Amino acid sequence: MSEAKPQVILRMGSHSEKEYIQKTLKFFDGVMVGANLLQISPGATASLLFKLHGETRRPYYIDPMTYAFGSYFDPEVSQVRDDLDWIKSLQKVPGRKGVREKRFKGSYRKLADEFGPPFSTCLDRGVAINQRDFSDDLIYSACESVLSFQAERLREVFREDPQTESFADALPRPAALFAPYFYIEPNRSQEWITLNNRLARAAMKQARFETPIHVVVCAHLEVLTNRKLASPVIENLQACKPDGVWLWFSRLDERFQEPDELLALRWWVEQLASSTRVFNMHGGFYSLALSKYGMVGTAHGVGYGEQKDVIPVIGQSTPTVQYYVRALHAKYSVAQIQRSFSRLGIKTASDFYGKICDCPICKGVIGNDLDQFSQFGEIHYSTPKSKRAAQTPAAAKRCRYHFLLKRIEERDYVGASTLDTILNDLKSSAATWAPTAMLGTSIEHLLVWANALS
Amino acid sequence: MPFYEYRIDLYGFCDNRDSTVAIELKLKNWRRAFVQALLYQLCADLVYIAMPKRAALKVDQSLLACEGIGLLSISDSGVCSCVLSARVHGQVRQPYKLSQINYLKGTTCE
Repeated sequence: MSEAKPQVILRMGSHSEKEYIQKTLKFFDGVMVGANLLQISPGATASLLFKLHGETRRPYYIDPMTYAFGSYFDPEVSQVRDDLDWIKSLQKVPGRKGVREKRFKGSYRKLADEFGPPFSTCLDRGVAINQRDFSDDLIYSACESVLSFQAERLREVFREDPQTESFADALPRPAALFAPYFYIEPNRSQEWITLNNRLARAAMKQARFETPIHVVVCAHLEVLTNRKLASPVIENLQACKPDGVWLWFSRLDERFQEPDELLALRWWVEQLASSTRVFNMHGGFYSLALSKYGMVGTAHGVGYGEQKDVIPVIGQSTPTVQYYVRALHAKYSVAQIQRSFSRLGIKTASDFYGKICDCPICKGVIGNDLDQFSQFGEIHYSTPKSKRAAQTPAAAKRCRYHFLLKRIEERDYVGASTLDTILNDLKSSAATWAPTAMLGTSIEHLLVWANALS
Repeated sequence: MPFYEYRIDLYGFCDNRDSTVAIELKLKNWRRAFVQALLYQLCADLVYIAMPKRAALKVDQSLLACEGIGLLSISDSGVCSCVLSARVHGQVRQPYKLSQINYLKGTTCE
């Protein structure tokens, strides 16, 4: 068992999250942005990464997002979809007033044009990439352009603007370059496993990049648990020898996953950790604890984002940012937590600080009045026409900052604790919170994690 | 009536007694109703779960009694009977209660 010092990489989903990154990155281990974000706002993204590096010296990563050009299995219609609908949006048609058409989002169109064939050609034909699109010649050039984008794009952006041109060479390169990758969907697992392996090998052969090459395993949950599918992927990776492997099992939610799935994640880490650096692309506390089995780090967003579906759900209302309970390593609604106060013996603000959290955000919000805890869940009608009350931006902000502070604490705690201590603490938290009528049944993950880790 | 991200199906206020009541209506899933009822105790003096008679028979009344939550049973003909009386509990947080009363007064005055 090769233990690792756990790292947390913050993923920036949009520029609206910039403030969180700027204020907290120095306490984390790196930042990741999607290539689509870089393409839609090149100047702002490049300037931000330059500034962040100057202020914090933290590394950055660019996720090439190539999976977005592949097909996926839609559980709602139980079939493989290759219409690329998930990277389209309704857009105004120039010259035709009031007419809107579903077209490719500008960020992905620009990204495909930058990557070249087969990414650009798949958008031209309107059908997702498949394995046959990568001939042996094309696979090499496609890898080169995807890697080159990550290595050079920031400098190019700076060179395009006379005001930033002179700083271009001062821009750091990413900490690692990701080989192009596609989602291993359950219907054509073998084909996607083969293609991803070819892409990883082609990327590793690119000699001109001095930056470490990492590989992403982006897969359906079946690949996580089914050894017949998992073993060839692991063998391919062991033979390919990338400098790092990022695991991303779509919809893998540590808190709600079955024990065998969590055990399977540990098995993946154990298989790979001796030959490469293993990360979780979207993970939480369980992934941090897997550092005891060799997982180097995990990435997630500023408002949690500890799990991600390959295909984002479109058209949902903005989710409430819930309050993160450090002892339970999970988020709950403000009302759920308040309803648990009596069983936990929390009657005053100082009880709260002693038993739940005494971070500066909580102290600033609650002060001496425990009722002020409700500010973390404050709701309002955002417009006079709103039918449903939603969390205020200020409340969401409080929850996010509190979560980020707790995550730093958790990372340091895992790094400084033995596995036995972590297991005992998980069990002890479960015992403390079990008598609360409100959360007693929502803390089962603690014991599931403890079993999976022991 | 909104309460955080939840919606209370029925909320009532008696000015004379300065007492409030919240009722969670559910057709089948009494456990879910129970969890919501627990939350509504933060803003209501009395909390009930109301269910069709057949579904109400399946409810674990001892669990409800333990938390002071009442149970109403509704027959097919619409007759409502109180199976278990709610009792006053110690979970109410006055700012929530006042806010709900003010919301109620505001909407009824409109």
